[in-house]
Amino acid sequence: MLSGIDYFIVIAYIVGMLLLGLYFKKFVSSSEDYFLGGKSLPFWAIGMSIVVSDIGALDFVGVSGQAYRYGIAVGNFDWVGSVPAMLLAAFIFIPYFWRGGMYTIPEYLGRRYNKSVRTIASATWILFFALDLGVLFWASAVLLNVLMGWPIWISILSTAGVVGLYTYFGGITAVIMTDVVQMIIMFIGGFALVFLSLDAVGGWENMVEKIGTMGPEYQSHFDIIRPIDTKSPFPWTGILFGLTFVMANAYMIGNQSIVQRCLTAKNEWHAKASMIFGSALKMFIPILVLFPGLMAVVVHPDLADGDQALPMMIKTILPPGLVGLMFAAFFAGLMSSVDSLLNSTATLFTKDIYEPFIKKNADDRHYLKVGQITTLVLLGLGVATAPISSDFPGIYVAIQTFMSYFQGPLFAILLLGIFWKRSTQWGGLSALVIGIGFAIFLNVFKAGFFTIEDPFLYISWWSFLLAFIVNVVVSLLTKKHTKAELDGLVFSSKIVTKNKTL
Amino acid sequence: MLNFDWLSGISTETAKLIFFGLYFVIGALVLILPNDYVYEGIAKEDRHWWNNLKLWSLAVLAVLASVYYQF
Repeated sequence: MLSGIDYFIVIAYIVGMLLLGLYFKKFVSSSEDYFLGGKSLPFWAIGMSIVVSDIGALDFVGVSGQAYRYGIAVGNFDWVGSVPAMLLAAFIFIPYFWRGGMYTIPEYLGRRYNKSVRTIASATWILFFALDLGVLFWASAVLLNVLMGWPIWISILSTAGVVGLYTYFGGITAVIMTDVVQMIIMFIGGFALVFLSLDAVGGWENMVEKIGTMGPEYQSHFDIIRPIDTKSPFPWTGILFGLTFVMANAYMIGNQSIVQRCLTAKNEWHAKASMIFGSALKMFIPILVLFPGLMAVVVHPDLADGDQALPMMIKTILPPGLVGLMFAAFFAGLMSSVDSLLNSTATLFTKDIYEPFIKKNADDRHYLKVGQITTLVLLGLGVATAPISSDFPGIYVAIQTFMSYFQGPLFAILLLGIFWKRSTQWGGLSALVIGIGFAIFLNVFKAGFFTIEDPFLYISWWSFLLAFIVNVVVSLLTKKHTKAELDGLVFSSKIVTKNKTL
Repeated sequence: MLNFDWLSGISTETAKLIFFGLYFVIGALVLILPNDYVYEGIAKEDRHWWNNLKLWSLAVLAVLASVYYQF
């Protein structure tokens, strides 16, 4: 439980976030302001926002738990799993999306392929984001309930009230600027825990030595590259093919909540710089979330569940005041995930579903209102579905896993869409549908196909490869797009030369 | 085949070299980008070495490579 100073820090944090978010209400007068921040934001704010949206409180606990069980190999996800993909996004994809004045990734897919591809991609993201909302509301409520003693429903409503108010009024500008503060709090809280934990285990060298003498299951805890025959989910082949080549790229290039932030940049340099700055900050994330899990191996060697590693370290290592700060950091992770989902889902619905299918050519104020109402509806949906999470403890992991099955085929059509002008609408559509179907098939029958514990990295790679092949074959068999249809949508060396025409 | 057993002859040391090779290739690709493209959005008189995104990218790649060298 928290002490008086911890309560004060947490309450001050929540009220501060609400006031800061509401301040940005005055900058919203059009749908472009609401969804793209009026294309006026600087790289540093966007970069910080990308990082904090990517790492939530549930990841804090989960990654520390995996580090406790498997060691430093978990860090691959933030190191090689981010940097190459973010550089590819910065120099190739983001300039196209930014110059094209796009709001959503499915909007690009719709222009490049056809309306069906756009609708399938958008509907899939909306479904997953909406499901995630209820889970995140429940996770926030459990945190508030355990640490503050607030009843579950009060906890859910207070989280929804704070995040909902500033997201409803301030749009993506409020989301990004509150994310900046949330990232700073997360880094201060996280580094405080790392430094104090390091002190508790007698320094890095001492920790490495102690873990090395704890038995055969700990011998590979400091090996970032794992052999193919490892039973952990991180063989190097999975890290290289599934994570580096597919999932990381799909996440950094195809995830609406990440890319939408870069589209708010004030100019193209800021859009590119935001991704590169974000990749630099991402290098620190494993230090914050992974190292406490490693140190828990020394401090609490007999934990039955690795996911208890971080809570136990907070409980035993941090003094009053810093516990409150660490809790605020947890809450910051949750709030940034919730506000991102709300705004991105509202953008996807308004631009990809409402505008093309329900009301075309309405005035801009109308779409602004639709975006705000969608935010409110999603908020209500998230609150109403939150208690379901308590009946399905594995639902968060299940949602994340199913999302990963969508990533391979999505990246295949994005990659061919931008680099291969012969790729056709039917190639893209069949690749997306068959690729997702194949990923689900591999998941259902994974015990018969794979030898590692959780083969999501392999499934991503093979579904990507099949979608890639299907796109190529079907495209070659169908009518190619005209030059005019591809204008500004396919990579051309012109964008990196003095001719700025896309 | 789906488990990449056909690559089981490659040791973890060689695998690490493959990752270093990847960083090297990415760095080389970043280096060949024209400066005008990298600075696009910044007025000519405001272009300095510290807002050259090639240098930012190479710095991040160097830190990444050193992490993999360390572990």
